[in-house]
Amino acid sequence: MENTKENSFVRAIKSNQGLIITILCLIALPFVIALINGQSFSSLLANEPGQAKFYQGLIIEIFILAIYALSYDLLFGITGLLSFGHAMFFGVGAYLTGILLKSFGWTLLPILGVVAVAGVVMALIFSIVLPRVKGITFALVTLGIAQVFHIVIQSREMAKFAGAEIGLQGVTPPDFLNPISQRLRFYYFGLVAVFVVYLFYKRFVDSPTGHVCIAIRENEDRATMLGYNTFYYKLVALIISAITAALAGVMHGIFSPIIRPGITGSGFTIAALLMILMGGIGTLNGALIGAATFKLLSFLLEKWFGGASQVIVGLVYILLVLFLPYGIVGTWRLRRLQIKQGWTDLIGRFTGKGRAESS
Amino acid sequence: MDNNNLLKVDQIHTFIGQFHILQGVSVNVPKGTIVALLGRNGAGKSTTLKSILGLTPPSQGAVIFDGEEIQGRHSFDIAGMGIGFVPEHRAIFRDLSVLENLRIAERQKGDLEKKEDFIFSLFPDLKRLIKLPGTNLSGGQQQMLAVARALVPDNKLLLIDEPSEGLAPVLIEQMMEAIRQLSAETTVLLVEQNFIVASQLAKDYVIIEEGQSVKSGQLADLVNDPETIHRYLEVA
Amino acid sequence: MNTLLQSFRKNRSLWTTLVALLFLFVLAVLGLIDQDAEGGARYKNVVFTILRGFSTGSIIFGLMNVLNMAHGAIFMIGAYVGWTVIVRPDTAVDTFTPIVLLASGFLLAPIWHKSINKLKLSSRVSRLWPWLSLAFTLVVLGFFVPQYPITSWNLGSYETTPVNYAFAASQGQVVVPEPKLFQGISPLLGLAGIILGSILAGLTVTGFATSRRANLAGAAMQTESSWKPLIYFGLLVFLGLLVFSFNTPISEFLYSLDSTWLFIIAILAAVITGAGLGALIESSVIRPIYEWHMYVLMLTMGVNVIIVEGVRSIWGAPEFTMHRPSVFAGTGEGCPAESLSALIEFKCSTISVLGGRIRTYNEIFITILGFIVLVAVWMLLQRTRLGMIVRAGVQDSEMVKALGINVQKIFTIVFALGVGLAALGGVIGAPSTGLTTALGESLLINMLVALAIGGLTSYPGSAVGALMVGLLQQFVIKYGQIGINIPFMEEPFKPSPPLVPAMTVLLMVVVLLIMPNGLFGRSK
Repeated sequence: MENTKENSFVRAIKSNQGLIITILCLIALPFVIALINGQSFSSLLANEPGQAKFYQGLIIEIFILAIYALSYDLLFGITGLLSFGHAMFFGVGAYLTGILLKSFGWTLLPILGVVAVAGVVMALIFSIVLPRVKGITFALVTLGIAQVFHIVIQSREMAKFAGAEIGLQGVTPPDFLNPISQRLRFYYFGLVAVFVVYLFYKRFVDSPTGHVCIAIRENEDRATMLGYNTFYYKLVALIISAITAALAGVMHGIFSPIIRPGITGSGFTIAALLMILMGGIGTLNGALIGAATFKLLSFLLEKWFGGASQVIVGLVYILLVLFLPYGIVGTWRLRRLQIKQGWTDLIGRFTGKGRAESS
Repeated sequence: MDNNNLLKVDQIHTFIGQFHILQGVSVNVPKGTIVALLGRNGAGKSTTLKSILGLTPPSQGAVIFDGEEIQGRHSFDIAGMGIGFVPEHRAIFRDLSVLENLRIAERQKGDLEKKEDFIFSLFPDLKRLIKLPGTNLSGGQQQMLAVARALVPDNKLLLIDEPSEGLAPVLIEQMMEAIRQLSAETTVLLVEQNFIVASQLAKDYVIIEEGQSVKSGQLADLVNDPETIHRYLEVA
Repeated sequence: MNTLLQSFRKNRSLWTTLVALLFLFVLAVLGLIDQDAEGGARYKNVVFTILRGFSTGSIIFGLMNVLNMAHGAIFMIGAYVGWTVIVRPDTAVDTFTPIVLLASGFLLAPIWHKSINKLKLSSRVSRLWPWLSLAFTLVVLGFFVPQYPITSWNLGSYETTPVNYAFAASQGQVVVPEPKLFQGISPLLGLAGIILGSILAGLTVTGFATSRRANLAGAAMQTESSWKPLIYFGLLVFLGLLVFSFNTPISEFLYSLDSTWLFIIAILAAVITGAGLGALIESSVIRPIYEWHMYVLMLTMGVNVIIVEGVRSIWGAPEFTMHRPSVFAGTGEGCPAESLSALIEFKCSTISVLGGRIRTYNEIFITILGFIVLVAVWMLLQRTRLGMIVRAGVQDSEMVKALGINVQKIFTIVFALGVGLAALGGVIGAPSTGLTTALGESLLINMLVALAIGGLTSYPGSAVGALMVGLLQQFVIKYGQIGINIPFMEEPFKPSPPLVPAMTVLLMVVVLLIMPNGLFGRSK
């Protein structure tokens, strides 16, 4: 018994090699950056400003986006519900955190509870039309609802709390997760959060419920005919997705110095779409890779092109949808054999032991 | 090469997505005749018609119409050379009225006026229904409209896909009569599941089996060849 | 009688919804009347609100084009282009030449098509050379286009921002800026470079199009008479050069024009820009994936982002206002006009009806124009061959092709037309909506709500939807001013402005709950 258990453990490690290596790299990354820049570990641990701290911030933003992208992937990539209002989930999480911290002085735990409840409520609002409306109309309805929130949050009536179109400023983050004085801790907290959410999603997708969700994406009528109440499964996916996105919003609300109304608009939903398109729709690790690629790409473009960078991001998005609809992970999975074959051929050609000669 | 052939399909291969549907189909259609494409369901008969028209363009082989190679051209160019198409499943435009369904087929203004009498002599019912929207027609009427639509411009060749599909026996008779009459003026390539209908209408046949043309000849001979019929056409 | 009953039974939910909406509508009207039950002007509010609703509805109506999420952004582009023509005619004239020259090369595509097919290249070469051509195009255009002198604002320095020009224009103190000239290279070389680049671009596009078809057997193309594209090309180049050589006189002439004439030119410029953009979007982004609606939706969302960000980087973030053309701007003697003749004589901005004022531009001009557009598009769809092909093509584009009709071209034309109408809506609406980079977004919701209410596939449905959204918004705004007496509450409840979009979305959700396909939509 002991033996098989160990075996399965070893197998689990082997099958998740990439993931484990990535996590180990990410754990080591702040120290590596510090080493490269000649910063001492003690100053790193004391969160003194420097290159290491800057890159930590960048990667924390990637973590937040990764959780957000995962939640959208569950909804669109796994369950096949195209929502154009996803940014609202994120935005509500961020704004609720900001407002409750700033104007009401709450602590983090009750905020998390309230945000989770808000996530469920938002999912329920979206799901009002769910049983009757499909496809494009669902996308339009969700966009409409989210746009209302986008307008309301910028309105003058809400300016006292939400800061109108400038955004919510001056939020005092909780001491133990202060993005400035405790950035390294925040970094590891973010890493753990991504890891936990990813594992949970993986478990969900592999569960019977997750399988039904995939069946709904492939062919909803067939799933209905097999006797599943598809509404229930779509609702579950929607609720999980909404809560996750809202929690990513909480992290954003604590981490970011200004909570801008832009994160509630359709542009931010497009960003989520872009991330999972880059990574590969319907693949969970694709969402993670997509989030990282998206953030690094827009960071670099911003550095090189300044204000026009968003135009280029939009162009990249269009080119991706047109020419690489399966994204990085999807294309890799499709072409894995071909790519490996190509490399072996290439290496073989140089070493003179290629397949081409033998065949 | 004999010059009597209005249409010559030479070893075409067609892919739809990843699927290799046609794997070498050859059809010759002599001028002024009716040629029947025979074969079982899914053999590739309809795809052959669509490949001729360029709706599913062939990746290999040649299609020669009226002495010109037409494979690889745009569908609308091919059709504009004088090929009429009657698709399967009575694909008329349901949102358009009967008159509009005919008008849309005009290549030049006044085509319909020229052919009106001929069309309504073939299908007298359509005259009565001229204002009705396509949705309100019965199956048989829709099929007649689909054939009539292909007659509006001066087509040298008609591609007709399963004209008798799902029609009542009386209507099949009427449809056969119509095809017989119109074949006096144009050449017809006919896809037909119903062997009896095909054998009464067409002179030549081509049998398609699993995407390949396997046998061709005169229908008069085929009728007396039960072995071939059994092998390629009968449903097991 | 029987048939009436039957039709009622068949469309039960439609009738129920209509009756419910009518009931709400009557309630709203009654509420307004009661609020204003003093003296003679009892119906004033109702009439005005409905008129305003109609005009809002007609602005939204210009947006109708199913599945295009960039429509709001195009609306915005229309407004910005129109505004630029009015405030900075010299910039508009300057940009005219390069745009026309850049477009001209694409007209030569049919000639390239023919000569490439004659060459009978091997498949590897025909796959490779478009990339080379693309690289060459990018080098040539990248070198010459930035050299082209365009007198425009500079977002970086305060004195020359668009806002300043707008302010000067509103004060009537426009200083015609010094026209810029080619620097470093001779004008002839610059123009020739741009023409060369555009010819190369046309070649590249043709190359990619033929290499896509090269996978197929044969690929012989149609034999068209070959001199036509050359003539069009020559005409466009000539036009571009003509405007270039008379640049300064044209600018000065435009500056001296009355605002009404400038407004008409602005409308033209906006519509042509919109239609051109529409054709570009359709042929590059939408055509390859017409059938996959989800992807069209996703792609046009991307186009939306590009346009909004593009506008932000060209015109900057501040808001602008656009003035009404002078025919609708009179406020002095004789205004508000009491009669039609007075209106024409004094060019009043308002007329007095029922003891209140109605704005001629916002409520009358826009409403009439919207109605004309509505009817024109309806006639185009129902009465012309083009409309017939569109209706048929929406159902079964393959069969339309098999009839010998180039349905892709027709779709491009119609798409361009729809987008051009959106741009028209933008420039017409600009004096009342103002110009902000968020303009497209807020209109997008209205458009989507109207579409969803009316049914995605129905043209009359979208018109009704637009009207309902417009009316509802106006009622909510009106009630926001006068308040609603709710029983057991001391003060009347006043809906605040953010509630306006919220109400429309609520309306949409309610309608969709009762009828998932919208009022006039058909279930598939």
